[in-house]
This record gives sequence, structure tokens and C-alpha cells, in this order.
Amino acid sequence: MATPSPATAKASPPLDLKSLETRLKATERIGVFTKLALKNQVDDLLDQFRAYYGGKLKVTLTELRQRYDLLVLKVLALLQDADPPLAQAIASSREAIWGILSDRAKFASV
Amino acid sequence: MDYRIDRRRRGEMNRRIGTLASIVLAASLGAAPSRAADDVTQAKDLTSVIALLGLPCGQVKSVVRLGENDNVATCENGMRYRVFINAEGRVVAQKQ
Repeated sequence: MATPSPATAKASPPLDLKSLETRLKATERIGVFTKLALKNQVDDLLDQFRAYYGGKLKVTLTELRQRYDLLVLKVLALLQDADPPLAQAIASSREAIWGILSDRAKFASV
Repeated sequence: MDYRIDRRRRGEMNRRIGTLASIVLAASLGAAPSRAADDVTQAKDLTSVIALLGLPCGQVKSVVRLGENDNVATCENGMRYRVFINAEGRVVAQKQ
């Protein structure tokens, strides 16, 4: 008799930025101050991208990627115990969101 | 005065005081958990914020509320931070 394969975690579908924002706002597993601090840091990163695409910030896309990865890591560290499904969704969306941020045309529609 | 009536009245009074004490005790026990729960939630929130801002703290052990969205957090490593929302809508943690 074949042994059943171990159940594998269902990967969450990638979230778009709007859905991510909505879910972060809605989660009750992190507090108000934390949500606002996260928003501050996300807004700061988006401002850096705007400045980069506007030619006002002398950084490379590689450096922006590092900053993006650091922010994602902070968010995941925060959520992995507090809200594991949301953490999983964010982890699944990491590359998709970077794909939007790193494309000038796609970023313009954010 | 009839001594037996006196004993009855004292007994009734003692029962009423006992009942009142029970009600007050039950009310305070009922209230305490939600206040304690709020304190734990707030400490966890401030722990996360201070960590997000990259400041040394560990766990926040106690919180003193200074005002609306304005608190002083004491960390397990002894550091104290005033955590508040500034006029620009940014969360700030100032070492105290």
C-alpha cells in the first residue's frame, strides 16, 4: 500500500499592492502603532522609488532591492507568529511586488 | 431594646455587607482581566514598533500613557522610549 504523501502547505496566491495594504490594515494581530510605523516605512520606500525614477536619487536598482528586501524581512518577522497566513501571502508576493516596483511603467500606476 | 432583635439586625447588616463585598469583588475581578489584556496588547504593539525602528529593547515590560497616542515604554533591557505620533503622522521612538 502506498503511503500517503505528507500534506504540503498550500502556497498563497501572490497579492497585489492594494490587497496587501488592505490585509495589513485589516489584521487584528498587530497593533495600531505597528501598523502606522509599517506604513511610514512603506511610504518612505515608495518615495525613494519615485525619487529614483525622477532622477533625484542617486542609487542603483540593486540598492533599492536591498532596502525592499530588508523591509519585507521586517514585515515577515513581525507577522510570522502574529498572522502566519498573511506572512505566507506576503512571502509569496515578494517577487511579484518587486516586479511592479522595479518597472517604471508599472510603478507609475501604483 | 430586645437583645434578640438586635442580633437579627446585626446579622442582616452583616449579610448585606458581605453581599456588597462580593459584588464589588466580582466586579473588580471582571474588570481586571480586560485591563490586563489591554496592557499586554499595548506592550506587544510597542515592542513591535521599537523593533521596527531598529532600536534595542527586547520585550516592553511596562507602559505609561502620557496622552493620546503618546506612551513611555520600559524595555526588559532597561531602556525607556517615549513612543508617539508626531505632527507629520510618523511614529517616533525617543530614548528617555
